[in-house]
Amino acid sequence: MSEGPLILSFDTSAAHCAAAVMSGHRVLADRVETMQTGQAERLMPLLGEVLGAAGASPQDVTAIGVGTGPGNFTGIRIAVSAARGLALSLGRPAIGVGVMEALAEGTGGQVRACLDGRRGAAYLQDFDDGAPGEPCLAELNSLPAAPAGTVCIGPFAEEIAGRLGLSVAAPALPLAEAIGRIALRRHAREGQPRPAPLYLRRADAAPSSDPPPAILP
Amino acid sequence: MTMRDPFLMLGIESSCDDTAAAVVRSDGEILSSEVTGQAALHAAYGGVVPELAARAHAERLDIAVETALAAARTRLAELSGIAVTAGPGLIGGVLSGVMCAKGIAFGTGLPLVGVNHLAGHALTPRLTDNLPYPYLMLLVSGGHCQFLIVRGPDDFRRLGGTIDDAPGEAFDKCARLLALPQPGGPHVERVAAGGDPGAIRFPRPLLDRPGCDMSFSGLKTALLRARDADVAEHGGLPERRRADLCASFQAAVADVLAEKSRRALAVYMEEAPGTPSFAVAGGVAANGVIRARLETVAAGAGARFVAPPLALCTDNAAMIAWAGIERMRAGHRDGMDLGARPRWPLDTSSPALIGGGRKGAKA
Repeated sequence: MSEGPLILSFDTSAAHCAAAVMSGHRVLADRVETMQTGQAERLMPLLGEVLGAAGASPQDVTAIGVGTGPGNFTGIRIAVSAARGLALSLGRPAIGVGVMEALAEGTGGQVRACLDGRRGAAYLQDFDDGAPGEPCLAELNSLPAAPAGTVCIGPFAEEIAGRLGLSVAAPALPLAEAIGRIALRRHAREGQPRPAPLYLRRADAAPSSDPPPAILP
Repeated sequence: MTMRDPFLMLGIESSCDDTAAAVVRSDGEILSSEVTGQAALHAAYGGVVPELAARAHAERLDIAVETALAAARTRLAELSGIAVTAGPGLIGGVLSGVMCAKGIAFGTGLPLVGVNHLAGHALTPRLTDNLPYPYLMLLVSGGHCQFLIVRGPDDFRRLGGTIDDAPGEAFDKCARLLALPQPGGPHVERVAAGGDPGAIRFPRPLLDRPGCDMSFSGLKTALLRARDADVAEHGGLPERRRADLCASFQAAVADVLAEKSRRALAVYMEEAPGTPSFAVAGGVAANGVIRARLETVAAGAGARFVAPPLALCTDNAAMIAWAGIERMRAGHRDGMDLGARPRWPLDTSSPALIGGGRKGAKA
């Protein structure tokens, strides 16, 4: 474990618990477990297991990388809250990484990362030789155009590629490893903000419809 | 493992719209208690929006813990455990608290204790007044209303509770209907002071039924009808009439709580407690008119009346740390698989509430 900083990375933004431990770019342990529910109960034991498999303890961790979404709101908060608690207790930084950045990690050329946004929408983020554009939520019937030759990547890639006549490719790296790599890069830069969920969708909340009465003197 | 006194406990609370962290010593000394509310966040929506609350908690909890540690002039390494609200409540916020607590426990190796939010309220009289078991507790807040006989840190008997809304929620609704600010309780009480409590005869739901169960949703509807009648008659709500509506509404709530408290005290006194005590917690306990009525009922039953200071009656993390202290002393520990429970009744043996829902009693 002398090759570089030890990065613990994880993600629960969708129907999985994913975690990895890396020493620099070398993956020491990497696990993905598929689950619809139960991420809150499973995440910390899984982190213990990947650290154990890597022969490391929590105190060996140099930095934490965490997937910030977009995705399941509750799922994003599970990982981000755990990462912030871990960072506080270890005195090490937690670094937030967008899931679509992680999907595009290690790719080149024109790439569009695609996630199911539900309710007839998609989460999208374009990358130009790795340089990220703004992540957005787009309606499926009014998808933003993509440059010719754009490759779609991610769990919703088939749907988006089919609608826009683009091609599809698999991500270059497993999700937790990709998050770890990006976190490692960001860790080298000073002043990283605390990780915060990337929702890209407003909370469902309707303003009160019942106007108060006029008060007469 | 037995705990050597005195020890320090971190408490974390995020089950509704307050993000809170506290450090409490096992002898009852509160070293710090930080509470950050979200009133402005929810103001436009006429109530707490669960998703908005969860979003705020997720980005405030670790900061609240840091602030509480700094205010207590201590460090995580000086602590003996971490207590966190694991339910019942708004699940998004509870989950953020549980995950933050587990992250801290994972990194420090400190023991973790999941606490029932209601147990936090119910055990507060022991933190503030060292009240001996068993005592009768009325928990009356914006989200809860129930009578409990508290026999131990993990031993509660539920005598009854609301079958629909909580009184605090009804006060908030009353304020909204009468163009008063939120949270409604203090404003309704202030305006009520200038009104006639006998002006409008509002219903006293379930007073004609035996037992300690209560209902407040019909009262809200009755208030709405009375207001609409006034608005129709005057083309608006006269200030004077608003005061009467507030006073009459408050009187109805006070009557229900007083009578049900009298019945709950009678049941409690059958247990022949050594030091008969009636404690209240929750924001509604801050209402002066209600509190005076409850004090009278307690005196009539020969029970000591205990009302913790308001800051420890409303949601806070000191009560969670304290409940954690009591649970740790009793040998409780939770693992890294601790989950969050939106529904978590304190008393699982008493019959479930009417209207508790098909998933079982909420609280």
